[in-house]
Amino acid sequence: MAKREAPEINAGSMADIAFLLLIFFLVTTTMDKDTAYARKIPKKVEVIDPEPVQKKNIYKISINNKQNIQARDSIIKPEDIEQLNSRIKHYYLINREKVEDRNVDYPYYSMVTKAFIDQRIAEAYNKQENYEKLLETDSKYEKFIEQMDNEIAEWNRKKRILDLYTKASGKKEMPEIAFQAHVRLESFIDTDYSAYVAVQSEVEKAVTEMRDEEAQELFGITYTSMRQYYQTNLLEKTPKVQEYKDKMDLIELLFPLRIIEVKPKR
Amino acid sequence: MSKFKKNDGKKAPGINTSSLPDIVFMLLFFFMVATTTKEIDPMVKVRPATGIGMTDLTPFKQRSEVDFVYLGQPLKGDVDKFEKGIAVQYDGILHKDGIRHIGKWKQDKFATKPAEYTAPREETMTCFKADEQVPMGILFEAREILGDASFYTIGYAASEKANNKGYNIRTQ
Repeated sequence: MAKREAPEINAGSMADIAFLLLIFFLVTTTMDKDTAYARKIPKKVEVIDPEPVQKKNIYKISINNKQNIQARDSIIKPEDIEQLNSRIKHYYLINREKVEDRNVDYPYYSMVTKAFIDQRIAEAYNKQENYEKLLETDSKYEKFIEQMDNEIAEWNRKKRILDLYTKASGKKEMPEIAFQAHVRLESFIDTDYSAYVAVQSEVEKAVTEMRDEEAQELFGITYTSMRQYYQTNLLEKTPKVQEYKDKMDLIELLFPLRIIEVKPKR
Repeated sequence: MSKFKKNDGKKAPGINTSSLPDIVFMLLFFFMVATTTKEIDPMVKVRPATGIGMTDLTPFKQRSEVDFVYLGQPLKGDVDKFEKGIAVQYDGILHKDGIRHIGKWKQDKFATKPAEYTAPREETMTCFKADEQVPMGILFEAREILGDASFYTIGYAASEKANNKGYNIRTQ
């Protein structure tokens, strides 16, 4: 048998196949990105005797059915909505790092120190011990013991955050805004979606700008870019992801974004 | 005499097309990487609201942690058939119960996804893609239903606002 060379495959139709695939992808895909404001719906918790929220800790923004905005006592027209930015920053920053001579209409800050946290942890342990003694008489105290466990974990978390803050800034005291301080968003049933989203945007922008500035000062990288990295690489458990997560926790504790969205009544 | 000879009879040499597939494949790969698949064909008119500093949902989509609900005027059919003229689109259908169907729909979506692909119940996001004139009352109704079914994460979809332009808020 004589050796025969294998015939060459005709690749002339390769281009046609590739074009076909290309056109398929052009038709079935889109270029535009999906972006949204991620929010949480609050869980229902039953509290028998809730502590009233002090007025200074509420920043109330309401939007009516004509898209006019009221932020605390001032009326803002829809075209002037960008004013909200500086107003929200003012709300967060006016009492920051102040212990005396504070503006009584705005949320107070407390200076968190290591001694303060240690004291709180010790208190929590003491309480837990008491509950354990009482557990022999009544089984309902089991719930309280668990609650104390959570509290201790929470204080320990704060302690780690404070360590990070001290390391980054050299300060031993960390300013923390009153835990009740929040932005309260009220709307009407007929308020437009676009107006509501615009207010969300302004609040988000103001807080993000403050966070970015703080993160740049402390770590030399903005909060936004850390968050970007974290969200894309969330599933990989590399040390860098964890490092960014810790830093983000610190920034979020310094400038918390708490928006309470109130169900419209009219 | 003339320098320009008429080369009659001879054909122009053919262009070599052997690198054409390479070029087309390059384009193909570019589009495969740079685009994302379309969710569904819209059946309602959605003019997006605008904003700044939104979260990019692409990682959520890759982890299939987000479901989209579309709200707006129906593109086809009678507007008056829907409550307040706003139709709600779940995947391929405009449901006649409107927003009240959302609990059941989300529950079905969650149950049909394999457990290893999706986040815990509280973290699967429901994203509202609403037209700019959708009244907020509808969305708050949806929030309440989702909250009762313990799907706690939601998203308000918006598109990036151009720097020099204002928000498109309707004024009356």
